[in-house]
Amino acid sequence: MATWELKDKAAVCGVGHSSYGRRLNRSPIDLAGEALRNALDDAGLGRDELDGLIVSFGTPIGVDADTLAYTLGLKLTLYNQTWAHGRFTASCIQWAAMAVTAGLATAVACLAALRFSDMRRPVMGGAGDHEGAREAGGGHGEDPVYGMTSPGAGAALVAQKYFQRFGATSRQLAAVPVAFRKHASLNPVAIMRTPITVEDHQLSRLVCAPLHLLDYCLINDGAACVIVTTSERARDLLQQPVYISGMQGLPGGRDEFIWAYPGFGIAQQERFDYHSGLQPVYQRAEVTPADIDALFTYDAFSILAWMALERFGFCSPGEAAAFTQDGRIELGGALPMNTNGGLLSEGHIMGWNHQVEIVRQLRGICGPRQVVHAKIIQWANAYGDSLIYRR
Amino acid sequence: MAAYSKPLPAISPLNAPYWDGLKRHELQLQRCQACGKIWYPPAPFCPGCWSRDFAWQTLSGRGKVNAWVVFHQAYFASCTEDVPYNVAEVELEEGPRLLTNLVAVDNNDITIDMPVEIVFDDVTAEVTLAKFRPISQ
Repeated sequence: MATWELKDKAAVCGVGHSSYGRRLNRSPIDLAGEALRNALDDAGLGRDELDGLIVSFGTPIGVDADTLAYTLGLKLTLYNQTWAHGRFTASCIQWAAMAVTAGLATAVACLAALRFSDMRRPVMGGAGDHEGAREAGGGHGEDPVYGMTSPGAGAALVAQKYFQRFGATSRQLAAVPVAFRKHASLNPVAIMRTPITVEDHQLSRLVCAPLHLLDYCLINDGAACVIVTTSERARDLLQQPVYISGMQGLPGGRDEFIWAYPGFGIAQQERFDYHSGLQPVYQRAEVTPADIDALFTYDAFSILAWMALERFGFCSPGEAAAFTQDGRIELGGALPMNTNGGLLSEGHIMGWNHQVEIVRQLRGICGPRQVVHAKIIQWANAYGDSLIYRR
Repeated sequence: MAAYSKPLPAISPLNAPYWDGLKRHELQLQRCQACGKIWYPPAPFCPGCWSRDFAWQTLSGRGKVNAWVVFHQAYFASCTEDVPYNVAEVELEEGPRLLTNLVAVDNNDITIDMPVEIVFDDVTAEVTLAKFRPISQ
């Protein structure tokens, strides 16, 4: 089979972020500006060398792309933004990679900036449930008429189905937040760094059963930015390029939803067993799951790590509960996951903090949490989109 | 009696027949006249074969519990007194799945595949919700 024509043609040349924390009392525009400046400095690019901007998690909750462009005095030939959903990280990187390889822009900043913890009212559940107000229901399975609100409720429904179908337990699920907290303890910018135990997880309060508080990600403020350019140009800049080898777009349909692979959908009508097959992202990058040195996933809720592992074939459906035990997903294990601490412990920057960490891992600068000899790292999600990066 | 203060459905031209049916205490969903598929949520044409030829059909109102969660946190102020309350996914005999609340059952007694039947809950003069209760064996 011929090599996919976009394989390794675009690269990340710079990453940056703001401080992460709760109640920082800073505007998302300010946070975005800090992340963008840091990313440009990291790349060795000047402001006027940036001609593309893609805002993830934009209007109406995050920073707006229009506003950001004129507030920061950017001169752009290409810009775009996604609605205020976290799941568009890979989509934004794909657009950026396509834009630079097609010559529509030379350097594209992809970023998210948010001020979640300062909101005066809940924004993703209850009175602020703009998801559930959508015609035909919310993307996370919201149906406020029956009290079904907040993204975590849909994840709880998936966890309940998973526990029922495969005989897994909440105690086994604890391995995910415990591992990610352990990683965060090695990360000076992580918001939650105190190690937790399985018992801590089990004793934490139930939010939406069967999920406990420690199955839920953080609600915080911060911004993170990734700059994409052509691989050719990246080789002339300050940092070692991190190549984008494979991509897989965001799927949709009745049999799946944001928090689950096909077979766990809220709108589906048939029961069936899911088989991952070799996902297109691997074919494009010309690797298999066995080649992946570390895996990063959108861990808004701990169950999503299990969903991602099974969706992409790291293990078969029903096996993730056992797969994630005994340190296998921890640093030093066979498949380290979310070495930054993830959304569960480093902070919820919509997955952009994960992209920053992936790039730093592939540059080999992660110090005590460095994945030894990391060459190929994957971003892969319960909802099916993915990126494969290599150094 | 205090006015109903919990969230109400966003009734649109597309889903109005569904809510009108519930108001009449009939559970009606669209059924494709070409391929026989019955679906939820309401769609402009059959999501299976894309035929525009459908009819609103009254269903049995029976199904089984496919999954459920229990809210321990009250996101809506109007639900404060309800916690812990359940939200269940009920798989209707005819196939489609609805999110709903199970009534007349303790949260601890809900089980997978539990047979249930519809209960029409007239929450306002205009809106009736489809809730479900266990079918006694």
